[in-house]
Amino acid sequence: MRFRSLLSRIVLLHIVAVAIAAVFLPLVLFWLLTSEIDHLHRESMQEQADALGDRLVQAADGTLQLNLTQSQRDLYSAAYGRYTYDVRDPEGQVLFSSRADGRAILPAGASSSGSISGARVTRTVGDRVLRIEVAEDLAHRDVITDDIAANFFRRVGWITIPILLVLLAIDIMIFRRALAPLLRASEEASRIGPARTDIRLPGDGMPAEIRPLVLAVNQALDRLEDGFRMQRQFTADAAHQLRTPLAVLRTRIETTGPSAGSAELLDDIARMSRIVHQLLEIAELDTLALDPEEIADLQAVCAEVVAAIAPFALAHGKDIALKGPDTPVYIYGNAGMLERAIFNLAENAIKYTAPRTSVEVEIGSGGAVWVRDRGPGIRPSERGFIFQRFWRGDNRDTEGAGLGLSIVRAVIEDHGASIMVGDLAAGGTEFSLRFRPAPAPSAAA
Amino acid sequence: MRLLIVEDNVELSKLLSQGLGRAGYEVDAVSSAADARDALSGIRYAAMILDLGLPDEDGLAVLTALRRGSDPLPVIVLTARGGLQDRVGGLRSGADDYLVKPFALEELVARLEAILRRPGQLLGRSLELGNLVYDTESRQTFVAGTPRTFSARELSVLEILLRRQGRVVPKKAVEDHIFGLTGEVGSNAVEVYVSRLRKQLSEYGATVVIHTIRGVGYMMAAEK
Repeated sequence: MRFRSLLSRIVLLHIVAVAIAAVFLPLVLFWLLTSEIDHLHRESMQEQADALGDRLVQAADGTLQLNLTQSQRDLYSAAYGRYTYDVRDPEGQVLFSSRADGRAILPAGASSSGSISGARVTRTVGDRVLRIEVAEDLAHRDVITDDIAANFFRRVGWITIPILLVLLAIDIMIFRRALAPLLRASEEASRIGPARTDIRLPGDGMPAEIRPLVLAVNQALDRLEDGFRMQRQFTADAAHQLRTPLAVLRTRIETTGPSAGSAELLDDIARMSRIVHQLLEIAELDTLALDPEEIADLQAVCAEVVAAIAPFALAHGKDIALKGPDTPVYIYGNAGMLERAIFNLAENAIKYTAPRTSVEVEIGSGGAVWVRDRGPGIRPSERGFIFQRFWRGDNRDTEGAGLGLSIVRAVIEDHGASIMVGDLAAGGTEFSLRFRPAPAPSAAA
Repeated sequence: MRLLIVEDNVELSKLLSQGLGRAGYEVDAVSSAADARDALSGIRYAAMILDLGLPDEDGLAVLTALRRGSDPLPVIVLTARGGLQDRVGGLRSGADDYLVKPFALEELVARLEAILRRPGQLLGRSLELGNLVYDTESRQTFVAGTPRTFSARELSVLEILLRRQGRVVPKKAVEDHIFGLTGEVGSNAVEVYVSRLRKQLSEYGATVVIHTIRGVGYMMAAEK
């Protein structure tokens, strides 16, 4: 049988162990108890036999006499009926006996017989070796010890079961506590992604048995991070390296003077340059560590974006407007990165909509931004893909490389913000962005 | 005017020399930071065009050393980096302007002209857009060669929009320009002046448009 959870495996095995223990422990205890009672009994018989031996004397005439005390006589009296004794010589001849018929109380060589149990000692009195036997009639045994044994299961034996159950509960608690650092580590691990390769699993409080695993995982993450860093560096380097040849190409076309197709070539170079530029931005966003305390004015950022993109919008025959408060709206974030993201959204809104429509950027005082257009909208089935790198939808003939929205997503993720795509009732697309509101930065900062 | 180009890419350096030569400049080209220092110590240049990615040293080091010696030589930085942080870094180190590769030669020439003309000359120029000409010295306006008159406030609006033609001028900047820091500003005063100006310009047959960018400001552009 296989369990998904270590805890359930431990609990089940524990229950099995407890069940077995709950059966066997009382039995073993009972056996120990009865054997201890027997042992005590035999010891007391032995002592009684010794006491009888002490009362045996050899008279001056060489005959043996047994001088019992009054209490001994009472003890072995037929009226009490519980204890019996006899004294025999080596040949087995009975010399003294508590029985009226003078017979031996135990068969030769036996220490118990049927309902009679007893002990035997050997004594040398004068020049004679005697055997003294004492026996107890088990039918009249000591009431207290009898009761203990008889009531063991009812009175005492059950106690093992609750003790075992309490133990089980305590063990479960101990296991849960021992596993808590593992749960913390897995929570930490769930935050690791391509954008956050700096996270390592915490080794603090981790059981010594698990620590080697944590260490090994962290080392593996180190190696992965190196790989990621190299890849990002490569993207950045490649983009850098492409820029100078592009500059050479562009300048060459320009210095050779206008010729057939040179305007188109310059357009091609502009498109390529844009892709290179976006690749660089992505590489930069991947490596850029955002200061979580940094505060930006969303209103200023949006005003900057609208002002920067307005000439482009007007050239495309679009109307662009900024709505919302004209006072600062502070949020946690980096103004440069936010500008890039909102610029890309506004740029897309201008590019992919019909001429003579309007694009609107609205700021919410709570740290929200809406970018709306009057375009054809984005099909719900495509909404999951638009933020992927190199996604271009049906617009394959347009100039973009499909990087703009992936840059938006990277910025949004870095800011712990959210972005949603929806339709407008009047037709068109609305991107809603929500950032974390921040207090106004102090004048000293 | 003599320029120094510091660029390690031989092709680009050669092409830039050609292009700038055609634009009427004399050009010296070097390909390393060390050569740039030598050249700067011997000849008085009008401006330097400096690539940041040099083989021996970062181009910014040359610039920083230059500025530490209080040399006001106008410098345009060329960079292949051009990330969010590189731009700020370049300008803080004392570059007068920067261009991210690849750039249009025309743009480089325009930027060069701008920094070589600075400071004084800009004010003496006449501003042109479409068939509209505005002389900043005499504050006279011509539409298709005919002198036209505007009120002082409207002329202020016209001037700031013309100075930044093709770019959006924030409403606040227009307000500050008309009323200065002391003037009383009505909530829609700017709108009133802009709409009057717009009306007059169209009456005079000017081939310019004043676009309103709602929530941000205004932009003046040539009519298409």
